[in-house]
Amino acid sequence: MASHPVVFTTKTPYPLPSQKFMIPLHWKRFQLSQLINKALSLPRPVPFDFLIRGADILRGTLGEWTAGNGVGEEDTLEIEYFESVLPPQRMSSLPHEDWVSSISSQIPQHILTASYDGHIRLFDYSQSLLVDVPAHGAAITSACPVPSSSQDAESSVVASASHDLTARLTRISLSPSTSASPRFHSLASLHLHTLPLSSISPNTTGTHLLTASWDGLIGLWDTNIPDNDDPVPLSLLPDSHSDQPKKKRKVTASTDAKRKVPLSIFKSHTNRVSKALFSPDSGNGNGKAYSCGFDSTVRTWDVEMGVCVDTITAPEKPFLDLALTADGHIALAASTDRSVSIYDLRSSSSSLTNSIGALTHPATVSCIVPSSGAPAKSTAGSLDTAYTQHQLITGAYDGIARLWDLRSTKAAVAVFKVWHEKKILSVDWVGNVVSVGGEDGVEMWKVG
Amino acid sequence: MAVADLKKSHKKRKQREDVEEPEKGAFEEAVGLEMLSDEEKDAEAESDKDDNEVDVFPEIDTRSDSEDEDFEDSEDEDEEEEEEEDEEEDEDSGEDSDLQIFPKSKTVVSDITGQPKRVFPEIEPDYDSDSSTEEDPNRVGNVPMHWYDDLPHIGYDINGKRVLRPARGDELDKFLQTVEDPSAWTAAFDKNTQMDKPLSAEELDIIRRLQAGENPDTNYDPYEPTVEWFTGKGKEEIMPLSSAPEPKRRWLPSKWEKQKIMKIVRAIRQGRIIGSKPTSSDKNQVYAIWNEPPSNQPPPLPAPKPRLPTNSESYNPPEEYLPTDAEREQWEKTEPEDRERDYLPQKYSALRLVPAYDRFIKERFNRQLDLYLAPRIQRTKLNIDPNSLIPKLPSPSSLKPFPNYKSLKFTHAKGRVRCLGVSPDGAWVASGDEEGVVSLWEVNVGREVKRWKVDSKVGAIEWCPRTDVSFFVAGIEEKLHFFIPPHLTPAVSNLTQSLLAPATLPPATQSAIKWTSSAASSADGSILTINLPPASGLPKQLTWHRKGDYLASVSSSESQGGVWMHQISRRHSQAPFKKIKGTVQLVLFHPTKPHFFVATQRYVRLYNLAEQKLLKTLMPGIKWISSMDVHPSGDHVIVGGYDRKLCWFDLELSDKPYKILRYHTRAIRSLQFHPTYPLFASSSDDGSIQVFHARVYSDLMTDPLIVPLKILRGHDVREGLGVLQVKWASRQPWLVSAGADGNVLVWCS
Repeated sequence: MASHPVVFTTKTPYPLPSQKFMIPLHWKRFQLSQLINKALSLPRPVPFDFLIRGADILRGTLGEWTAGNGVGEEDTLEIEYFESVLPPQRMSSLPHEDWVSSISSQIPQHILTASYDGHIRLFDYSQSLLVDVPAHGAAITSACPVPSSSQDAESSVVASASHDLTARLTRISLSPSTSASPRFHSLASLHLHTLPLSSISPNTTGTHLLTASWDGLIGLWDTNIPDNDDPVPLSLLPDSHSDQPKKKRKVTASTDAKRKVPLSIFKSHTNRVSKALFSPDSGNGNGKAYSCGFDSTVRTWDVEMGVCVDTITAPEKPFLDLALTADGHIALAASTDRSVSIYDLRSSSSSLTNSIGALTHPATVSCIVPSSGAPAKSTAGSLDTAYTQHQLITGAYDGIARLWDLRSTKAAVAVFKVWHEKKILSVDWVGNVVSVGGEDGVEMWKVG
Repeated sequence: MAVADLKKSHKKRKQREDVEEPEKGAFEEAVGLEMLSDEEKDAEAESDKDDNEVDVFPEIDTRSDSEDEDFEDSEDEDEEEEEEEDEEEDEDSGEDSDLQIFPKSKTVVSDITGQPKRVFPEIEPDYDSDSSTEEDPNRVGNVPMHWYDDLPHIGYDINGKRVLRPARGDELDKFLQTVEDPSAWTAAFDKNTQMDKPLSAEELDIIRRLQAGENPDTNYDPYEPTVEWFTGKGKEEIMPLSSAPEPKRRWLPSKWEKQKIMKIVRAIRQGRIIGSKPTSSDKNQVYAIWNEPPSNQPPPLPAPKPRLPTNSESYNPPEEYLPTDAEREQWEKTEPEDRERDYLPQKYSALRLVPAYDRFIKERFNRQLDLYLAPRIQRTKLNIDPNSLIPKLPSPSSLKPFPNYKSLKFTHAKGRVRCLGVSPDGAWVASGDEEGVVSLWEVNVGREVKRWKVDSKVGAIEWCPRTDVSFFVAGIEEKLHFFIPPHLTPAVSNLTQSLLAPATLPPATQSAIKWTSSAASSADGSILTINLPPASGLPKQLTWHRKGDYLASVSSSESQGGVWMHQISRRHSQAPFKKIKGTVQLVLFHPTKPHFFVATQRYVRLYNLAEQKLLKTLMPGIKWISSMDVHPSGDHVIVGGYDRKLCWFDLELSDKPYKILRYHTRAIRSLQFHPTYPLFASSSDDGSIQVFHARVYSDLMTDPLIVPLKILRGHDVREGLGVLQVKWASRQPWLVSAGADGNVLVWCS
C-alpha cells in the first residue's frame, strides 16, 4: 500500500510529537482524525480537519490530493490539523412580522434586529422581546449598536439607517428593572442623504459613525449628541404636508431627537454605496475606512482628511457588502456576480486591483461576517482565535449560509440551510452563535 | 514573280479580246447542236403529257424547262471561254519557254523509219532530278498532314527543328485577301507548309488544261497531221469481219430505257422519290469565334505507368534474389491474393533458355483493368471544414457583463404580471398584475415597500425618465394613474407634487380627455388620473418622450385609433393621428430626433413630428407585430412579432430587416435595448428570455454585431403565456422580467 511521509503540526491544545508519519494514500480525513485521537488517546473523540501545506483543507483521500497537486512521493507533507467545525445546529428562531434587514449580536447576550417595518427590536438569548423601538417611518436597512467606552451594561446606543433618508441614534436600556421609564430614547437624527441609506457602522471605540447611501455619498458622523439642532438644509427636511404619516410615527418615537449634520462627506463613488466601515485599527476620527459600491470599486478612505486614498476597481462587479477580517488585513467584498472577492489590503496599491481569491456561490451573496477575533466572554471553550481568524460566514439569497475558510477557497467548510428559497439578508457571528436575519425572521445557529 | 504574273494576265486579256470575235461563229454551231438534242428530250417529255401524272404538275414542267435552258446557256458560255483560252495557250506556248515543266521534246527525223519523231532529253540522275532536294522546309515526308492538326507545328525541318504552323486567317480574311490581291484566287493550299502558295504560271496552265479535258502536256499537239496507217492506197481492208448491215439500235434511242426513265421521272414528280438532301455540313462555314469560350479544361490525365521490372524479375537475377526452398513453399502455400509478389524469381543462364511467358495474357488483362479503373479526371476535392463556414462570433464569456442567473424573485400572489417599470436610477421596480395590484419594490432585495390597488387590471407601467421628479404611470382600463413612490427627498417630492397636482391649473384645453388631480389622496392613491375616452379599453403601451414631458399611450380598442399624446406640463391630451391604416400596436419616440415610430399590425412607420410627414415605412415581414424598441443611438430598431420573428432594422440602410432572428419557439412578447450596455433582451411565450449582445458601431461601414448570449429560463408558461415583459435596470446589466406565472424575476450578471 502506497504511503506518504507526513509531518503533523497544530496550534490546538492537542499536539502530537513532532515526527514523520507514513500515511497510506487512501486515507481520508476520518482516518487521519482517528489517528490523532488514538495517538493522543483523548478521552472524548475530537474531530479534526487537516490543512495541507497551509493551503488546502483535505476533502478527498490523501492520494487524490497529491495527484492533483503534483506532489512527489518523497516530499514530506506538512499537515496542520485543527478542530473541525461541527455541523451547525439550529438553536432557535425568532419570528418576525416583516423581513429582517439587519441583525447584530454585538451587545452581549442580546440580539438586535432591524426590520423592514421600521422597528428595531432587542431580544435576549432566551428569545424574549425586550424592546421594540419604532425608530423609523420606513424600512430600516441597517442597525448596529454603538460601542461605548463606558462599560454601561444598563443601556446601549443603537444606530440605524433607513429608507426614509435619515439615520438615527437611539438609546435603549437593557435592564428590565426600569420598566416605568421608556425603554428607549431617541437621541439624534442624522441628515445628509437624498436617497435611501444602505448601511451604518461605528468604529471600534464608538466615537464615530459612517453612513453609506444610494446617492453615492458616505457621511462621517460623531456620536456626540448636540444640545441644539444642527442647521440642516431645508431641502433635506421632510415636508410637513407631504410626509404626514411619517411625521406622525416619528412623533410617537421621539420628540426630542436632535438633528445632526455630518462631520465630513466622502465623495468619490459614482453609484450607490452599499457599505462603509471603519478599519478595526482606526482610532477616534482618524485611521482608515473602507467602502464598496455599485460602481464596482472598493475604496480606502483617510478618515481624517476625508479623501479617497486607494481604489480597487473590479470590472463589472457591483458590490453588495464588504467585510474586513479581525486583523484588518483582508477585505471581503460580495458582488452581484455571486462571488465574494478577497483583497489583501496590505499589498501595494498597484496589485490591489487583483483579488487574491474568490468564493463562488450559487446565488447572490447578500452579507458577509468574518469571525470575530475575540470570542465572546460567555462562550467558554469556543474556538481559539488562531483558528477562526480565517473563517467567515456568508449568507445568500438562496437561504443558505456558508462557513468558509480563507485558506481553502474552493468549497465551503460547512453549509447550513437556514431557509428554503428565502433570502438571508444579514448574518452576525459572535462566539459560536450565528444569528441569521432575513425574509423569514431570525434564526440562531450554533457553529463549532 | 507576282508582277510578272500580273503582266501576263494583262497580256492574256488583251489577246482574248482580240481573239473573241472571229471565234464566236465557229462555236455557235456546236451550241445549236446540243440544244437540239435537249429539245428532243423536252419534246419527248411533252409527248408524255397524255399521262395524267404530267397534268398534275404542269408548273414543275415549265420551271424545269427554263432552268434547263439557263443551265445550258451558262455551260455554253463556259465552253466558249475555255475554247478561247485554248487558243490563247496555243499562242502563248511559243513565247514563254520558262512555263514548261515537262521536258521539252525535240522533233527529229528517225534514222530508221525516216519519219519525224519526238525525242525527250535524257534525264540526268543528279540532284536536280530528285524531288527530295527541293527547298522544302518541312521534311516530314508524305504523311497525312492531319496528324499535325492538333499540334502547334506542322512538321520538322532538316535539322529536326519544329516547323511552326503559319498563321491562318478566317474566311473573312480570305475574302478580304481576294478583294485586295488579284492574284490571291490563283493561290492554292499547300498541305506540306500548311499555307496558301501562289500557283506558278506552269501550274495554272496545267490546271487549266485539266479543266478543259486536255492533255496537260503543253507540247502535246492534238492537231498533228494524221499519219495514214491503215487507209489509203495499198492499206485497204480486204476482209471485213461481218457483212451484216449496221443494226438500227446503233442510231435509235432505246425505247425501254426511255420507259424506265419516264417511270422514275413520274415518281419524282409525284413525290414518291425524294432526292437525298444535300449534305449541308460545309467544312468552311463562317462562325463567330468568340461565341464559345475556349475550353480551358486541362488535358486528360496520362495513363498510370506500369510498374518497372526490378532486379528480381530479371531472367538472370543475382543469387540473393532467388527464393530458398522454404520461401518457395511459403509462396506456394499462400493464396494468390495474399502473395507479396505474384512471381518467383527464376534464373536462366542464357536469354535463349527463357521459356514463353505464361502469364502474359493475365498481365495484359490486369493492366487493362488498371487502366479501366484509373482516374480519368483529376478532381480537386473541396476539403472545407464545416466549422469554418460558421460566422466568427466572439465567445459570450468575452462579452460580459450580461445577466446570467436569477438573483431574486418577487411574487404577485394572484394574477399574471403583465407589465413592469424600472425607475430611471435602476433601484425600484413597479409591477402591475391583472388583479389591479401595483407593487413597488427594491431591485436588489425584492422587498415590497408600497402597494396600490387599482380598479382594473394593469396594462402598462412606465416611470417618468426625468431625474428631478419621481413618479410612474400605470395604465388601467380607460385610465392612466400617476403614482409617486415614497421616501423621496422633500425637494423631489415637492417638485413632483407641483408638477402633477399644481396649485394653479393651466388653462383648460379643448380635449375629450379629462385630467383630475387629487393631492389629498396622493399617499395612498394616484395623484393624477387621466380619463381616456370611454370604450378605449386597456392601454397596451405607455411610452415617454426622453425629456419626460410627453407621454404617449396606445389603447387596445380596435374601433378608433387609440394613440394619445399627453403633455404633462400643459395637462393636455391630443390624438396625433386623425386616421391610421390598421390598428396601432405600438408607438415609440425616437431617442434623439423629433421622430415617432408607429407600429401597425404589419408595418412600422416613422413620422417626423416636427414636419408632420411620413419618413419611412419599415416592412419587417411579420404577420403581427408584438413588440418594438429603438436603439439608444436611434439608428436601429428591433421589431418582434407573434410569429416568433425578431427583425433588426438599420434605419440608414433599408426598409427591409438587416437581420432576422428566429430563436424563440413561441410568440415574442417583449423586447428592450439596454440604455447603456450593448445588450438587448427578448422575451417569449415559451417562457424563456434571450439576451443578445448588440454592438452598434459609430463607423457607418461596420455592420452591427449581434451575438446571442444567454437563454434565461425561470418563468413557467401558464395558459400559453410566458414572459410578458422584460425591462433592463438602467445602470446595471440587470434584467427584470414579468411572467404570466405571477413572478417578477431579477436577473443579475
